[in-house]
Amino acid sequence: MKTRKSVWLAMLLLVCLLLAFGATRSGGPQTQQDRIDLVTSHLACPTCSGESVFVSRASAAEAIRTEVARQVGAGIRTDDEIISYIEQRFGSQVLLVPRSTGLDSLVWSLPAAVLIIALSLLVGAFARWGRRTPGAPSVADETLVKNALAEPSQDDNES
Amino acid sequence: MLASAGITGTIGRALLLVGLIGSVFGAFAAITGVRNNEPRVVRLVSRFAVLAFASALGAFAVMEYAMITRDFSLAYVQKVGSWSTPALYNFAAVWSALEGSILMWVLILSGYTLAVCFWMRKRLNESLAASAMAVMLIVLAFFFLVSFFPANPFALGAPGVLDGPGPNPLLQNHILVMFHPPILYLGYVGVTVPFAFAIAALVTGRVGEGWLIATRRWSLFAWGFLTFGIALGSWWSYEVLGWSGVWAWDPVENASLLPWITGTAYIHSVLVQERRGMLRVWNISLLVATFSLTILGTFLTRSGVLNSVHAFSESGIGAWFLSFFAVVLVVSVFLIGWRGDKLRSPGIIDSPLSREAAFLANNVLFAVFAFIVLLGTVFPLIIEALQNRQIAVGAPFFDRLTVPIGIALLTLMSIAPVLPWRKASAETLQTRLFWPMWSGIAALVASLALGAYGLAPLLTFTLGGVSGGAALRQVVLATRRQGLRGLVGRANGGMIVHLGVILIAVALGASNSYSKSQELSLVVGVPATFAGHSFELTDVIEVRDDRSVSVKARVIVDGDKTYEPAITKYTRIGMNVGTPSVKASLTSDIYLTLEPPVRQDSNTARIKVFIKPMITWLWIGTMLMAVGTFLAAFPGRRRRPTDATSAPVLVNEKIQN
Repeated sequence: MKTRKSVWLAMLLLVCLLLAFGATRSGGPQTQQDRIDLVTSHLACPTCSGESVFVSRASAAEAIRTEVARQVGAGIRTDDEIISYIEQRFGSQVLLVPRSTGLDSLVWSLPAAVLIIALSLLVGAFARWGRRTPGAPSVADETLVKNALAEPSQDDNES
Repeated sequence: MLASAGITGTIGRALLLVGLIGSVFGAFAAITGVRNNEPRVVRLVSRFAVLAFASALGAFAVMEYAMITRDFSLAYVQKVGSWSTPALYNFAAVWSALEGSILMWVLILSGYTLAVCFWMRKRLNESLAASAMAVMLIVLAFFFLVSFFPANPFALGAPGVLDGPGPNPLLQNHILVMFHPPILYLGYVGVTVPFAFAIAALVTGRVGEGWLIATRRWSLFAWGFLTFGIALGSWWSYEVLGWSGVWAWDPVENASLLPWITGTAYIHSVLVQERRGMLRVWNISLLVATFSLTILGTFLTRSGVLNSVHAFSESGIGAWFLSFFAVVLVVSVFLIGWRGDKLRSPGIIDSPLSREAAFLANNVLFAVFAFIVLLGTVFPLIIEALQNRQIAVGAPFFDRLTVPIGIALLTLMSIAPVLPWRKASAETLQTRLFWPMWSGIAALVASLALGAYGLAPLLTFTLGGVSGGAALRQVVLATRRQGLRGLVGRANGGMIVHLGVILIAVALGASNSYSKSQELSLVVGVPATFAGHSFELTDVIEVRDDRSVSVKARVIVDGDKTYEPAITKYTRIGMNVGTPSVKASLTSDIYLTLEPPVRQDSNTARIKVFIKPMITWLWIGTMLMAVGTFLAAFPGRRRRPTDATSAPVLVNEKIQN
């Protein structure tokens, strides 16, 4: 059993090391197209509700894509600056990701709250179940078992 | 047309009325027959169910007839019919807008009602079966009512119309429009059956496990079709919408995903109730949630309060669905409260390291998952109501919050299948997880060797390896013991479904994280390269037919075959639809779209190329899920009642303590 335990520790360590290596490894330089796709997928198409500029084929989305491509090509603004530029021109409804301030922040905090509440309910339930140990059999229980054992089984006859 | 006198509309509407009366009377017969113990009245229930189904089928047939003969006396045919629509798409045009899709709902629900009635024909005298029939027929009556009044497909249109625009262009350029909506509806509407039995169990007080086991296959059937329908929708999105994605977190997609999430939670937690008699309230609540989410989803997407690519025009049905949703919720909550005593179960879960505990954790994750999707979908409404300003909640939000949920679920899928009921020792776990763990390490090493990077995708691949190993272990052990019978039954079929889910998770992880794209300005005869592939434009051509003008760019990929991404202008509607062209392979797809502006006979074209690794495995995983669901529906090996079903309790341990 001891060898098993050490094998397990080695396996977990190996996984952690490999994950750490993979997580920090670079995926190659980000191309201009990658930046355009990233920025446009964070912007809502103003005429077609719900779709991002990246997804939509509408002409308004096409116009914003061209503008984003131009700014990325110019290479002056960062991704966030491009997004706020577009926001200034079209209004805050073009932001596809809700802000983390004010009432909008609820969309981020409520799921976390629900997860925490659900998990603590689960942990609480296990704690409650853990405390409840089966008590010693009462006299009545014992007679019941004794009678059941004494009687010939009827299971075979029934069905 | 002779029918332009409006006869078709009258016949159709009359049939809806007959169906409405039939379902109301049927529900009435079911309730009174059982209450007064009158077998003659109970026998009427099946006649009314037949009547309701026959009239729904008749109404649907009349609608098809009107569509096929282009009877423009009907407003609905004026809206989605056209002489220029090809026959197949014209047939599907019946469900391409609100009124017709409600009519399809009526048809499918009446079919389910009749099927349940036939299945229960010998037991209709029992209160449980009769009450379930009553619930089915009441729900059916509601849909007949909606179809008769606010979403009447047989309303007369303006006189003198001789032709129409045809269905939305997106609904007439891919064959999947024939299959995706009906299959999705088979799942969406099918959850009514287990819901009806849950309500019946509450009403009659027979809240034991009987109804649950009886409806197991119905739940599985509905869940399977819902899964398959959603997957077909993703495929459609990939093949038609031209942004190379499979899921846009659009409100209508979310409306179909929500009942799927709660339904998936249900088909897991139901096992705990069957085995241990626990979680009764929870399981009934999950069924109520699943059914009411189909109603809420229909309200959100069909009333015009939310907009999305799928949303049909605004209509008055919102209030109907919202009221029905409220009634379902209030009645269910009242019934659960009323039967509270009977629903309480004495059982306890012995250890957090047991299969039932894993199912509980699964349910917590699925509940949070459903909450995230619901919140994200309705959040713009909340903000608009409270602060009167418009915001959008889109894919980046859902991706950020659901990826961790997905990874947590994969972790659970790695451990849960090897856990025994009641209690597992660390030793059991170490033994049973040994090979799955190595399979996870192998997956991690292989993906690193192939150049994978990033924590989330690597975790997905590793956990995919472990959970795949855990699922395979179960299937291998079962087939070794029982031969081919080891592939059927709930546990084994379920593991094959798991394998499908894992393939889908890996495919999503790879394609979302490692997609590459590039816009290429191609000139005829000058090859361009991107990501190691060559693209050469041969020409740009124009294809015309009755309904549209297509401009196609013909591109030779890797010097081999020609692909033809296109932009099609549907002249009657004035809408441009792009049609991507995909070179698929097991390792990665090359996805080509033609970008506007386009000119035929020009010697240049702007082509956007997406390289989507491993996306084919999404469709393979879907097929595997379908196969697994099918196998799970077969009865597995009967367990002898005397067989041990859980890990032995170590008696000595207790004494020593």
